[in-house]
Amino acid sequence: MYRVEWKNISSEIASYLAPPIKQLLLGLDEQYFSRLEEIRLRCQQPLLLKLGDRDFTITSRGRLAADLYSGYVVTREDIQRTLASISDNSLYAFEEEIKRGYITIPGGHRVGLAGQVVVHKGEIKTIKNFSSLCFRIAREVPDCALPLIPYIAPRGVPVSSLLISPPRCGKTTLLRDLARILSNGRPNLPAQNVTVVDERSELGGCYLGIPQLDVGSRTDVLDGCPKAEGMMMAIRSLSPQVVITDEIGRAEDVAAISECLNAGVVVIASIHARNVKELENRPLMQDLMKLKAFRSGITLSRRIHPGNIEETIRWQA
Amino acid sequence: MLWLKTFGIVLVMTGFGSWGLNQARRVRSRVDQLISLRLALNFLLKEITYIHTPLPQALKRTAQFSAYPVSILFKEAAGWLEEKQGNTASEAWQKGMQKLSFYSELSKADLELLSTLGHQIGMSDAKEQERVFLLVQEELRIFEEEAVKASESGQKLWSYTGFVLGAVVVLLLI
Repeated sequence: MYRVEWKNISSEIASYLAPPIKQLLLGLDEQYFSRLEEIRLRCQQPLLLKLGDRDFTITSRGRLAADLYSGYVVTREDIQRTLASISDNSLYAFEEEIKRGYITIPGGHRVGLAGQVVVHKGEIKTIKNFSSLCFRIAREVPDCALPLIPYIAPRGVPVSSLLISPPRCGKTTLLRDLARILSNGRPNLPAQNVTVVDERSELGGCYLGIPQLDVGSRTDVLDGCPKAEGMMMAIRSLSPQVVITDEIGRAEDVAAISECLNAGVVVIASIHARNVKELENRPLMQDLMKLKAFRSGITLSRRIHPGNIEETIRWQA
Repeated sequence: MLWLKTFGIVLVMTGFGSWGLNQARRVRSRVDQLISLRLALNFLLKEITYIHTPLPQALKRTAQFSAYPVSILFKEAAGWLEEKQGNTASEAWQKGMQKLSFYSELSKADLELLSTLGHQIGMSDAKEQERVFLLVQEELRIFEEEAVKASESGQKLWSYTGFVLGAVVVLLLI
């Protein structure tokens, strides 16, 4: 289902890696890149590649191996060189991103950061002495959300919907493709003005504020913006017909969703849960049910492939 | 033969005099270069802490702002970083310093001080960068004051030394 081109890896990701790791990665057979999901660099630990659900490493001879301890061991210098490349040797220019724990690179790929966290008066000030980096490969899977359209836009009119799943089931990829489909329109589905409130820079994969991934021609992206504030901003200034956001879960999100519904704006969001039953027991969901906020719920899994539809539910208006 | 002797005396005096004057100019140049360096670092600090300009561009702008030969340091370092070949800021800074040491009158101690900045530049938050830059600028100011004092006496000393040495050589040769 998912494909990552070799040219994307070589131009968008490998160029940021420390030279020894770059050399090892580019020496691999192209076929492996189609399933590549993560590259993990942990200081004094083997280089780790996540291909689908399995972890592999690359040996010093450049071969992919399942035995992690036969792999190339990442050094502190590798971490520092990679970090220097990602930040353009300018960590001071990424203070907010470091506080949030990741830096987005061109192509919309996210690099998660770990190290010594500096806390002042209960707030994270920065991270220093970096010890591991996690490259999460951003994916565009055009039309992967088409099977969801009959539930999200029955009779060609979008309704407020909730994508429900545990992590790593393709929620973000599906939401991005939904934004693209709703924004561009399709036969029997008129194009909509869409606002994506992208708190974690995952949906649009923005680099310097510009979406790196296709979210459609009528889509505005509020990058790095807290969900609740973003929804309110969108209603006030961007006149969206549809607001799309990832991973709702806080009390203020409920209030913002309520405002959207009062303004006649359709909300499509995702939430972490294994199934509808588990979700309906949560206080947040009970509040949303009282508001009759969502009309449609779709439970996802990766049982057959990421983004597999397990269950759909239609809540009464 | 008198014209030949006169010509020789003028040649020796001019040679030694020029050497002395050149040494005096070098003493003065170090002061000018230290001032220029401090101003350039102040400019770079503002680019980093207020504008958050990425380091390669910040170095490039500082090169345009600063006077020759101090500009060499920033131009060379920016060039290394812009190559995007996995060079770190510290390596680029050292390359810039190597070239600067060739063209400038800065002393070994001045360059060692600059070298400490190279280990820190770019790779911490703005507050930490400010702290390091201010520390180096403060040290540079002390070096500058010492250099001014040294240049006041040194300039005169070297100017006279050249001509006096020339005169001594002439007397010995006659």
